[in-house]
Amino acid sequence: MEFDNNLNEISAKIQLLKKTAVELKKLGENFPALEKNIARILASLKMLELNISDIVDLSPDG
Amino acid sequence: MHSDQKYWNPVLETLSQKKLKALQLKKFKRIFQWAYDRSKFHRKLYNQAGITPQDIQSFDDVRQVPIVDKSMMRDVQRKDPFPYGDNLCVSLEAVCEFRQTSGTTGQPIYQADTWQDWEWWAECWSYTLWAQGYRPHDRVFIPFGYNVFVAFWAGHYAAEKIGCEVVPGGVLDTQARILKMRELRATALMGTPTYILVMADTAKSKMNIDPSGLGILKITCAGEPGASIPGTKNRLESAWGAKVFDHAGATEIGAWSYECSAQPGGMHVNDAFFLVEIEDIDTGEIIETPERRGKMIITALDRYAQPCIRFDSKDIIEWDSKECACSRTFRLIKGGVLGRTDDITKVKGVLLSPIAIEQVVRGIEGLGDEFEVVVDKVGDIDRITLKIELLPGMEKRRSAIDQMLKDQLRLQTNLGYRLEYHEIGTLPRYNVKAKRFKDLREHS
Ligand SMILES: [Zn+2]
Repeated sequence: MEFDNNLNEISAKIQLLKKTAVELKKLGENFPALEKNIARILASLKMLELNISDIVDLSPDG
Repeated sequence: MHSDQKYWNPVLETLSQKKLKALQLKKFKRIFQWAYDRSKFHRKLYNQAGITPQDIQSFDDVRQVPIVDKSMMRDVQRKDPFPYGDNLCVSLEAVCEFRQTSGTTGQPIYQADTWQDWEWWAECWSYTLWAQGYRPHDRVFIPFGYNVFVAFWAGHYAAEKIGCEVVPGGVLDTQARILKMRELRATALMGTPTYILVMADTAKSKMNIDPSGLGILKITCAGEPGASIPGTKNRLESAWGAKVFDHAGATEIGAWSYECSAQPGGMHVNDAFFLVEIEDIDTGEIIETPERRGKMIITALDRYAQPCIRFDSKDIIEWDSKECACSRTFRLIKGGVLGRTDDITKVKGVLLSPIAIEQVVRGIEGLGDEFEVVVDKVGDIDRITLKIELLPGMEKRRSAIDQMLKDQLRLQTNLGYRLEYHEIGTLPRYNVKAKRFKDLREHS
């Protein structure tokens, strides 16, 4: 499968984005335009996790 | 860009069933723990059953988790946190979407979604629309009354997410919608099968417009099972000159199933986002083998504000034994949703599903799209009356149609019917959920 080999790399980058978003969220207290846009970004990042990250650490035997 | 990729998610949609099962178990544990920790409703239910998150280690353990039905959800609602009650797992401030069920079987269920849950709704619908060939070049017309019912809201958001151009056909009447579609050269359409038939009929009979000339290439149906019923699907496809696809979802569940462009005579279950189990209605046994009907017990594995865990959807489905030509590994349910446990009634001791009648009526040339079934009693004996409309110019064929109808109905349902012919356009027309089955026995 063409994506199997780089799923780990994709997932690592998703986690990096998430880490950045969470940090920005902390800085966004009392800054609605920052906080609320980050909330949307985090929801989109969750969709990336559902689509990719969730299967990366699945053991092959289940 | 990327429009040659046939899967929305080329990894998940081709994952082996073994890995999908492992993914489902991992996610089930996660959502169970989440609900156990945050929902008083779920905690109480699971405490009563003596089940804790640590007990869920296998699918056998999953099957010990109590089933939730609509009445249990109704009982906790209209209390604080208002109006969702003890089922809510997030603060009210985190809720940004309100929807409710139609309430056709009782008090409506209120449904809360956070923005993440709403993204998830659109994500599930994106699997559907991509599999049905929606691409960024499509202009999608949605002739739907945008309101408290979830219906095509998520289809709208998913089409946007895919990159389609979305035209909201909200408060326009049917004729204005058809004119707007023609004016804008829409390429795709979403609606209930009942309403899509009404639109075609309106275009032809009231506007002298042939809907097959409007340039619609694909239609996504939801809300009723019609697009998986061959007779109805054929009528829809020939009226519009378009491919018609089925999709299934529900307010309390999410968008859990879709027909792909290979049109396999059924729908794929989104096995990566939902755990679908089929339970034998009589014995409660979980059915793993194909072509054995039962009711669906479903878990939305990634829905968080108001979780849906082992929910009795009342949908009747069966697994298909064949694989789909599209090569998706998501399992197929044969013939889509085959009915609902609360629609199936016993008449003269025989189980009758209105869908079987729809298949017969819509499969006979010369009959209109609408019909109505009335069950009453004459003395102690059940009587079924089928009201149908004969198309203009078909009077000469009436006795042949009559015979065909009786034979087919007997074959498909094992029951005899009194046939009542009505003039075209006189039976009730429905824009949303059709109510074509009337059981008057309790009152007769
Ligand atoms: Zn398929």
